[in-house]
Amino acid sequence: MKFFGFVVVCLVGGLLLYGTADFPDWGDPDSPASTHLSDIYIEHAFEQTQVPNIVTAILADYRGFDTMFETAVIFCAGLACFLLLRDFKERKERFYRHVPTGVILHVKNSKKALRVGRDFEHIDKDWIPSDLIIKTVCRILIPFIQIYALYVVAHGDFSPGGGFQGGVIFGSSLILLAISYDLKILVRRIKEKVLGICAAAGVLVYVGIAAICMPMGKSFLDYSALEMFVFDPHHVRALGMLGVEIGVGIAVAAVMAIIYINIVSEGRHDEGL
Amino acid sequence: MNNYPALIVIAPLLAALFAGLAVWIEDRLSYYIAILGLAVSSFSALKVLIQVIESGTIQYKMAGWDAPVGIEYRIDLLNAMVLLLISGIALFNLIASYKNVEQEISDRKGSFYTIYLLFVTGLLGVTATGDLFNLYVLIEITSLTSYAMVALSDKDRGPLASLNYIFIGVIGASFYLLGVGYLYMKTGSLNMMDVADIIASQHDSSTVLVGFILCMIGVWIKMALFPMHVWLPNAYSYSPVAFSRVVAPLMTKVMVYVMIRLMITVFGFEYIFNTLHLSEAVVWLATIAVLAGGVLALAQDNLKKILAYIIVCEIGYMVGGAWLGNQSGMTGAILHLLNDALMTFALFLGLGNMVYMLGKVKLNNLQGLFSRMPWTMTGFVVAAFSIVGVPPTCGFFSKWYLISGAFEAGAYHFAAALIISSLICAILFFKVFEICFFQSSPDLQGQGHGHKFQVMAEAPVSMLIVSNLVSFSLIVVGVFSGTIVKTIILPFLQGI
Repeated sequence: MKFFGFVVVCLVGGLLLYGTADFPDWGDPDSPASTHLSDIYIEHAFEQTQVPNIVTAILADYRGFDTMFETAVIFCAGLACFLLLRDFKERKERFYRHVPTGVILHVKNSKKALRVGRDFEHIDKDWIPSDLIIKTVCRILIPFIQIYALYVVAHGDFSPGGGFQGGVIFGSSLILLAISYDLKILVRRIKEKVLGICAAAGVLVYVGIAAICMPMGKSFLDYSALEMFVFDPHHVRALGMLGVEIGVGIAVAAVMAIIYINIVSEGRHDEGL
Repeated sequence: MNNYPALIVIAPLLAALFAGLAVWIEDRLSYYIAILGLAVSSFSALKVLIQVIESGTIQYKMAGWDAPVGIEYRIDLLNAMVLLLISGIALFNLIASYKNVEQEISDRKGSFYTIYLLFVTGLLGVTATGDLFNLYVLIEITSLTSYAMVALSDKDRGPLASLNYIFIGVIGASFYLLGVGYLYMKTGSLNMMDVADIIASQHDSSTVLVGFILCMIGVWIKMALFPMHVWLPNAYSYSPVAFSRVVAPLMTKVMVYVMIRLMITVFGFEYIFNTLHLSEAVVWLATIAVLAGGVLALAQDNLKKILAYIIVCEIGYMVGGAWLGNQSGMTGAILHLLNDALMTFALFLGLGNMVYMLGKVKLNNLQGLFSRMPWTMTGFVVAAFSIVGVPPTCGFFSKWYLISGAFEAGAYHFAAALIISSLICAILFFKVFEICFFQSSPDLQGQGHGHKFQVMAEAPVSMLIVSNLVSFSLIVVGVFSGTIVKTIILPFLQGI
């Protein structure tokens, strides 16, 4: 079987190499990829869309339809994680730590939960004494990471960036919170329901903005139909793109958190990493 | 502005997102949202089909940009037909599946319907699009959703089947993407018509050749052409019934559609058959697929697996027909795409009713089924006749076109394989019917003097209505197959 695999790999590799024989030269300015459509994008993108960043113009306008489905893919990944991993059964074993003495209680098969407060705190099975330095540094960092994420989303029109990147950065700040403290803090701060609604609503912002264009008499995703909703009709396409980028950002951030929480806690949302 | 082409795909997408919201607010709503979305989609598909028959190909510019710059939907007779098929089957399956979902996945119905809608959105998008990369993105959606679904039902074997499916599916999709990349190097465009125009003058380029081979291998892996079929039987038999009923008829058929679309619209017959002379090799491959699918189906003892291997066999029919390189073969392949989707759907509807009532569908669970579930079996028998190819069911007519195409092309081995596999299917189904009809079930109700009778235990009415309606449609489509060929398939083939 290994030998057979080796033969297949060699054949496919040979095929790929054979195909490169007829490639245009490396970096050739006259190659079809850099002349056929790229000229049109480079020459007209700014005047047609009022967005200085051509990549954003292609991503969110010329080929915005693809990007919409990419966002749907992200949503789908989050939903699949929830669907397959989420386990609503209560965990029977619980661990508590008596704060003043540091004694750890292991409660088995008990329906009644201990009151958590000044005396006792919840801990995970693989609990590590919390580190003051890590907690403090992360607590300081997280707000800045989140502001940076918002900046990346909002600035997508002008510089590399946009909804996906901003959303990932925002999501990672939530994951950092879960890692530096523990998962329960994150789950208590942002309810599962909120994350679920944000994931769907983020994509819905994108599809909704695109779909509103249809009753306005233009084709799907044609931002120019939105003129009456914005105060600056000249930049209507740029504003439309900003709108969909915000939607993407919300969806991606929520899905990042959903995937992380479900995977580390094996769907129980109680403890993990 | 005629927005129906976009609405076909957007309605289920919007419904999926609202159903995704409903998961957190009121779980029961998601079912009705799904029905609404698919009803709008089917209605739009019907409208579009009528428009296309009346006034020719529709082009729909996404975001208002002209074709090679932006993405366009390009709906001609072929994909108008497939779009109606997909949205119709998805809608009917949803109506039939309400009880199945309640039984199998009652605790997460909302997410199930959401994923179901996303899957259908993906299939519709793949069919409607006129853009090579957009097609890939939609393939990604259909694949991702089906991986999740396969892992959902059977807690023991589902995840493993899903993992195999993921590995092979991702390889298939990557091959396709790599092929598109190679084509992009030579053309700089992703629009199908535009790419076709550019490569018409580059028939001797090795890059285009490799792009073509990679795209085809990718699509073949995705449609489970033998010997790239290994993921299919497990994936389809371990997924929830409500999902396997829509994935089995549609996923492979949509990939056949993609193959035909690439062959006809992007590369062109001239390139494939006259420049490359690939016809013979691929028809041989298809012949082997037909025979292997049939033989492997004989070896199974679980009805789900039997039906899954029959799909492998049917894929061989369509690939062979499309690659015969003549009009009858292509007509047969396209007609069989329509017929096979309906036949498989009818079979799986019957299967779903059995699973709902019996739980397991190993062959020895099926004893006495004719007296226990007469209505389900009526639909199932009609569908089985159609798979075997008994006139006047629709399976007969597409096989007729395929066989006459094979004779025209001199591919007698393919014609022989078609006939042999029909015989194998006949043996298979009569084996099943024998168990269902002659062997009485072990849990007979005794009464009086040794007379025992069977209590009827039929599936719910909603499921029976749908399954018999679909089986009836097999006969209707069979009777009107001449009309379908004349109004849809021949004008399409002549228009290229």
